[in-house]
Amino acid sequence: MTRHLLRLIWNRKRQNFLLTVEIFFSFLTLFGVVLFAMQYASNARHPLGYRIDRIWSLTVDRKEPAEDIAVKARHRETYRQLITALRELPQIEGVAAAFTGPYANSNWGGSMHLAGGRSVEHGVNRVTDDFFELFSVPLVAGRFFSREDDAATWVPVVLNRSMAREIFGDQNPIGQIIKEERDPNDGPPDPNDKPQVKRVIGVIDEFRQNGELSTAENYSFFRMRLDDADPKADLPDRLFVRLRPGTPASFEETLVKRAMSAATNWSFEVQPLETMREDKLHQYSVPLMVIATIAGFLLLMVALGLTGVVWQSVTQRIREFGLRRAKGATIAAIRRQVLIEMMIMTSLALVVGIALLGQLPLLPLPRPLQIVNGPVFVASLGLSALAIYLLTLACGWYPSRLATKIEPAEALHYE
Amino acid sequence: MLTHYFSLAVKVLLRRKFFTFISLFGISFTLLVLTVVTALFDHTFGPDATEPLQDRSLYVERAVMYGPHSTWTGSSGFRLLDQNARNLPGVERLSLYEEGRTVHSYLDGRKISSTLKRTDDEFWNILHFTFLEGGPYGASDVANGRLVAVINARTRERFFDGRPAVGQTIEADGQRFHVIGVVENVSEVRMTPFAEIWVPYTTAKTDAYKREVMGGWHAVALARDSAAMDAIHEEFNSRLRRFELPDPKHYEAIVAPFETKFEVFARMMDVGDRKNPDSHVWRLVGLLAGLGLLFVLIPTVNLVNINISRIMERASEIGVRKAFGAPARTLVGQFLLENVLLTLVGALGGFILSVLTLRMLERSGLFEYARFTLNARIFGYGVALAILFGLISGVYPAWRMSRLNPVDALKGGTSR
Repeated sequence: MTRHLLRLIWNRKRQNFLLTVEIFFSFLTLFGVVLFAMQYASNARHPLGYRIDRIWSLTVDRKEPAEDIAVKARHRETYRQLITALRELPQIEGVAAAFTGPYANSNWGGSMHLAGGRSVEHGVNRVTDDFFELFSVPLVAGRFFSREDDAATWVPVVLNRSMAREIFGDQNPIGQIIKEERDPNDGPPDPNDKPQVKRVIGVIDEFRQNGELSTAENYSFFRMRLDDADPKADLPDRLFVRLRPGTPASFEETLVKRAMSAATNWSFEVQPLETMREDKLHQYSVPLMVIATIAGFLLLMVALGLTGVVWQSVTQRIREFGLRRAKGATIAAIRRQVLIEMMIMTSLALVVGIALLGQLPLLPLPRPLQIVNGPVFVASLGLSALAIYLLTLACGWYPSRLATKIEPAEALHYE
Repeated sequence: MLTHYFSLAVKVLLRRKFFTFISLFGISFTLLVLTVVTALFDHTFGPDATEPLQDRSLYVERAVMYGPHSTWTGSSGFRLLDQNARNLPGVERLSLYEEGRTVHSYLDGRKISSTLKRTDDEFWNILHFTFLEGGPYGASDVANGRLVAVINARTRERFFDGRPAVGQTIEADGQRFHVIGVVENVSEVRMTPFAEIWVPYTTAKTDAYKREVMGGWHAVALARDSAAMDAIHEEFNSRLRRFELPDPKHYEAIVAPFETKFEVFARMMDVGDRKNPDSHVWRLVGLLAGLGLLFVLIPTVNLVNINISRIMERASEIGVRKAFGAPARTLVGQFLLENVLLTLVGALGGFILSVLTLRMLERSGLFEYARFTLNARIFGYGVALAILFGLISGVYPAWRMSRLNPVDALKGGTSR
């Protein structure tokens, strides 16, 4: 039976080829959207690693780049005064300073070159000691930055679990030194920079800076000190304040005025993290919505087109069906024939599509495209294949009913 | 003859309404997407009321400073532009302005956020703003760092409930400015003119910017005529090559070319080597054309399939015409005409939908102050796209038709 159907399809190869091509491209389009959405769904289930309740972000614009050491020292002093001033406000529960933070649009990425030639890509943040407490980051092992580190001759780091595992495997990372080698692309070492080893002091579960829809990545924290003896140490770009419960939104004006009086030449931008979270979710979801809308219309167009084409081919094959009816085929058998032919073409398109898409994970893609993990990829393939089967079945449904309405005598007579 | 074909085409299209509907739906939707994208592009890069002289305007937006191991991508600093962009031969006017920044004002317990741009006085001579009240600031305001501001209509609305604002003061970013002019709102996507408050750059809180090579500044130049633009581009590049960089150990060259708006966009999309000062436009055009082709792939195959079905259905008509001696060329021509006609009707539908979609986009607030108008230029692009689409999707079916065997066709078509 199947061989017979295949021959029938082969007999109409030109038209069927174009139909298969159309189904093939629809599958690729649908797969792209489904993969996008499934990745988000899988990301959303992953832990976030922090809480943002009642926290506001204060972005600082220092107006004056601090490459000059004297300027830097002046700025560091201003930061100290600023933080003291903010802590004195009765509405404020806690203050922390950092390079960046949750839902902020500034990301800092780094690459560690481990001894042995491996390199580890990771997100970086530099934070003051109070940062972890402020954001209620749960600790998995070790400890967070503290005064204990003031005299350390090494650089203390806190890693997330995935980064610790990537560097140390199953060993306990706490207290270990990260064995690095110089990046050969970095050129000759600067004699003024004294090499410093990094030692892991704490491991956290996760810190997904870009929020719920972002893909989990390696993340590392370095310590930031505002009383630093090192004149070249980096300065924070943001302050985070946690408000006491019940503080109204109008407190913002008081906060900014107080900050401006402590740092006269600087500008501040205050945003509740809740607002930044909403903006970030939009940033992630708007592209998906645009693509999904366009793909939805494309598939609707394809569905209508397929229905039309199958309809036409059924009316064209009236004699063929009439002959089969006259030879004793039941209505259901004819109907099944039309639908099975459709399924065979769909399967053909899907086999080619899956074979092609299956190559994707094997390709050396640039890092931002490597977001996909195995289960999500396979699930997306399955889901889109299923959806395409349903779509083509639906397109064959009405025309196949048409085929069954044919009276054998009339059909054989048809000219 | 043409009118005969025309009336025949209309009859054929009306005979099978479902097919005609499917075709029209596909064409309208495809052209809707293409037209909306074109309109967004045109709105962002085409000439408009504030920037009418696009054919002789040049911009410095993106700067890249690099050395063997470090690359710093951002915008130019004031010193770089101030020392190199002035007195370029062929330049009629030059304006330097700072990137727009979000500033906050607190008014009766309300927070108002606005985009503030610090500019020089030439800014008002190069860009054509429509003043509703007062006027721009001049050279002496800039030279003396006077705290004066031009605001847009929306800011007047928010600060003064729409009452006359000239003579009043507004507080922004901890500074108090005298309003001296009110202009009509300018769309957010017009990167160069857009702001909500404009003030002289000399009102900055510190003058640290004057020493910087990288960061925060842009330039716009008006060439004497479009022929001078290449020379300006070249001369500025060669000045930058001679410019002494502050940190030669880490950075040995800086690339910040004077380019047209579209070239600037290509550079920002990072389609080419960012250290190459020459135009990246062709790479961008290639990329966009590729994406466009990818998008029309499904609609085209869909339309081809429908067209073939339509032809097969009319096989007996074609058989009769062939039997009576109509050459294949005529039949193909007739079919292509029919298809282009259908596409044009679809295009009209697409345009109406585009207008509605663009209105929706305007209201969505996704692009602040945007006024998407479908002008003759976009209409022209759309019609050209529609005809192209109609021809592409019609050629293969027409070829199949010309190959139909008249005997088979008369019998009601062939399945092969």
